Amino acid sequence: MNGRDFTFEPNAKTVGQMQVLAGIGAATLVAGLFFAPQRIWPNLLLVSYYLLGLALAGMAWIAIQYVSGAHWSTALRRVPEAMAGVLPLAAIGILSVLILHPSLYSWTGGVHVEGDAPGFKLMWLSLPFFRIRAVVYLLGWLGFAWAMLRLSRQQDSDGELSHTRRSTALAALFLVFFGVTFWLASFDWIMSLEPEWYSTIFGFYNFAGAFLSGLATLALLLVWLQRHSALKTVIREQHVHDVGKLLFAFSTFWAYLWFSQYMLIWYANLPEETVYYVRRLHGFWQPLFVLNLFLNWVVPFFALLPRMNKQRAGILVRVSIVLLVGRWLDLYLMIMPPFSGGKPRIGIWEIGLVAGLVGVFGLGFFAALRRAPLVPVRDPYLAESLHYHA
Amino acid sequence: MDDRTEQLAKNGAPVIEPGHTFATVTDKISSIVLTRPTSNGWYVGFGIAFLLAMTLLFAVGYLFARGIGIWGVNVPIGWGFAIVNFVWWIGIGHAGTLISAILLLLRQSWRNSINRFAEAMTLFAVACAGIFPLIHVGRPWLAYWLFPYPNSMGVWPQFRSPLIWDVFAVSTYATISLLFWFIGLVPDLATLRDRSTNRVAQMIYGILAMGWRGSARHWHRYETAYLLLAGLATPLVLSVHTVVSFDFAIGIVPGWHTTIFPPYFVAGAIYSGFAMVLMLAIPIRKVYGLEDFITERHLQNSAKVMLATGLIVAYGYVIEAFMGWYSGNRYDAFTLWNRLHGPYKWDYFALLICNIVIPQVLWIRKLRTKPIALFFISGVVLVGMWLERFIIVVVSLHRDFLTSSWGMYYPTRWDWMTYIGTIGLFLAAMFLFVRILPMISIFEMRTLLPEAEVKE
Repeated sequence: MNGRDFTFEPNAKTVGQMQVLAGIGAATLVAGLFFAPQRIWPNLLLVSYYLLGLALAGMAWIAIQYVSGAHWSTALRRVPEAMAGVLPLAAIGILSVLILHPSLYSWTGGVHVEGDAPGFKLMWLSLPFFRIRAVVYLLGWLGFAWAMLRLSRQQDSDGELSHTRRSTALAALFLVFFGVTFWLASFDWIMSLEPEWYSTIFGFYNFAGAFLSGLATLALLLVWLQRHSALKTVIREQHVHDVGKLLFAFSTFWAYLWFSQYMLIWYANLPEETVYYVRRLHGFWQPLFVLNLFLNWVVPFFALLPRMNKQRAGILVRVSIVLLVGRWLDLYLMIMPPFSGGKPRIGIWEIGLVAGLVGVFGLGFFAALRRAPLVPVRDPYLAESLHYHA
Repeated sequence: MDDRTEQLAKNGAPVIEPGHTFATVTDKISSIVLTRPTSNGWYVGFGIAFLLAMTLLFAVGYLFARGIGIWGVNVPIGWGFAIVNFVWWIGIGHAGTLISAILLLLRQSWRNSINRFAEAMTLFAVACAGIFPLIHVGRPWLAYWLFPYPNSMGVWPQFRSPLIWDVFAVSTYATISLLFWFIGLVPDLATLRDRSTNRVAQMIYGILAMGWRGSARHWHRYETAYLLLAGLATPLVLSVHTVVSFDFAIGIVPGWHTTIFPPYFVAGAIYSGFAMVLMLAIPIRKVYGLEDFITERHLQNSAKVMLATGLIVAYGYVIEAFMGWYSGNRYDAFTLWNRLHGPYKWDYFALLICNIVIPQVLWIRKLRTKPIALFFISGVVLVGMWLERFIIVVVSLHRDFLTSSWGMYYPTRWDWMTYIGTIGLFLAAMFLFVRILPMISIFEMRTLLPEAEVKE
């Protein structure tokens, strides 16, 4: 197989569309800073965290494939690698919120910590420490992404098995690091928006959501690349089918964690915990709260239950879009209630930034995908993946 | 390219050693049941396990005569050894379903040699687990009240209580596991029927094989049923221990009420389950010379699963501790302090050493293929997981909100006898199983042979 046949060149029209979307996002951001700063900052956090989830899901995917010794997916690896390539963009988004507008976090204006033993919380939620932690997480992820992508691309030129071995070791370390830091990051950046509230499953729940959105993105990208790139000859029906199965499984996993958190808090009925759900269950929040469960689980579950549907690109694309909308709504419900007052507001600021999210992801993804051949051409396990059959 | 193929071959041990054919696989596995004479070692081992099982009978008999006052349970520690052991055994049972159902769906063909006895182990572990809540109800002859049945008294169980969810979760789990195990056995039972020379054995295996002739239609139906059961069993791997975790987490007792419990219990269950699989597989492959079928690859993979689930368990401990500080809740903070400094602090430190510190040696590739090392690490993990449940049940209960209702828990000899007795029951059942049923799935092993490969 020749590497030169497998370079990626997105067509100018798609790139143009992505540029327009990114431009809309940028314009919305700038306008919002002047006209609606209270709405634009939490929304910027939302889309940055969304983008971060996609990038880290790409990383987690690669790492899990290495660690579990899975070879079926080797031929597809450049796609999650390119997803991980948008990590720096997500980092910029997150850092700009934390550096430019930390007052998003109500605890920065003198902590009003509930409870009677606030010492640790005061120390943990202090702005300098909070920022140092953010830098540590982001630098760690960027470092791992850089190292793993580099090893994978080096293998394109020399085809050494030792790169696979080293990637496997690196992947195991990444997963441990990621497990701890993503959990802390979700506590820091999302949970502490309501500093009085806490839930130990929150990190798991955030991982499930991020990974699910990553899988949905992967499914969309695979179908798209199958139609618009040299991957047409590489991606087999079985690859798509397996991604469909994973979507089904992780959608259910997300619902499992959602239910565990909700049911346990509902059942114990402790005011310091139920406050979170009370805020999300009154007025117009309630339909959104229910819709969240439908978009992220009920629809995907029944749509993907028959075997046929997991193999059909058309259905996978639709389910993936539903899941990606669901992910946005899930994050909206996690982030917005303390800012939005009594009722949810979805308008030009939200939609503009979502357009920007799509555009920025698309451009970042294309740029990353162009940097290396579309398949890891000299990976020793490539042949096995190309001939993959269930 | 040839160099690379060689390199790849060296990369991992095979799931079945080379040189086997359909015939040798069938001979090897069925001979353990049919032709090999029962060794003295088997009699001694079974005898010891049987004696221990008899202590269970004795302890339970005395319990029925005297009531649960003979145990160490008291106020405030109303749940003692019985619930600790229940959770421990149910957790161990998880590995069987994970191996047979989830690994089947993930097409992990290495599962083929360990799924059968892992499933058997699951059934025996669930049986041991089921004993505890039944004898804990005080009037075990009324234990059927746990089930919702129409009755003239108009008495129904409290459907909002996770204890009743447990009844459903565990009984569903036991039923599906049994069906799954039995369906998987049918083709092999037919093999035993055809190969045995003893008339009685032929009849028994023949009845159990349910008329299996191995026709294409039989195989088609079999594959469909097996896959469907795997699909049904997969959510059960998560749901059973999730419901067990609800027993604790819905309460407001500090140390019980924490939302991470469901996934963290499931990870712990798989952790201890794989430890038990290794503790059984390692001596069995040695004694019966099954190293060709249960290879280094199986040991290595099981060790990796243990390492991964062990890290998730560690994550659970860390997050609980973190929340103890972060929440700012006085009672949560005290629970943590009490674990570290209270009268049971040694249990907590032992737990950390057994479940977190020692298993980290599994990062070393060489150790993952050393059977003796793995055997001992697995033992350590099983002890650690038992201690974890002791911490959750007893240490949380012994000091909660009011100092006036603090207490201590001292297990009595009856507690110990019941616990050790269930280990005896479990081992006795395992001894019988390896003697009378094929402990490795013959036909599934044959699908791994080069002979079975279909030319495209």
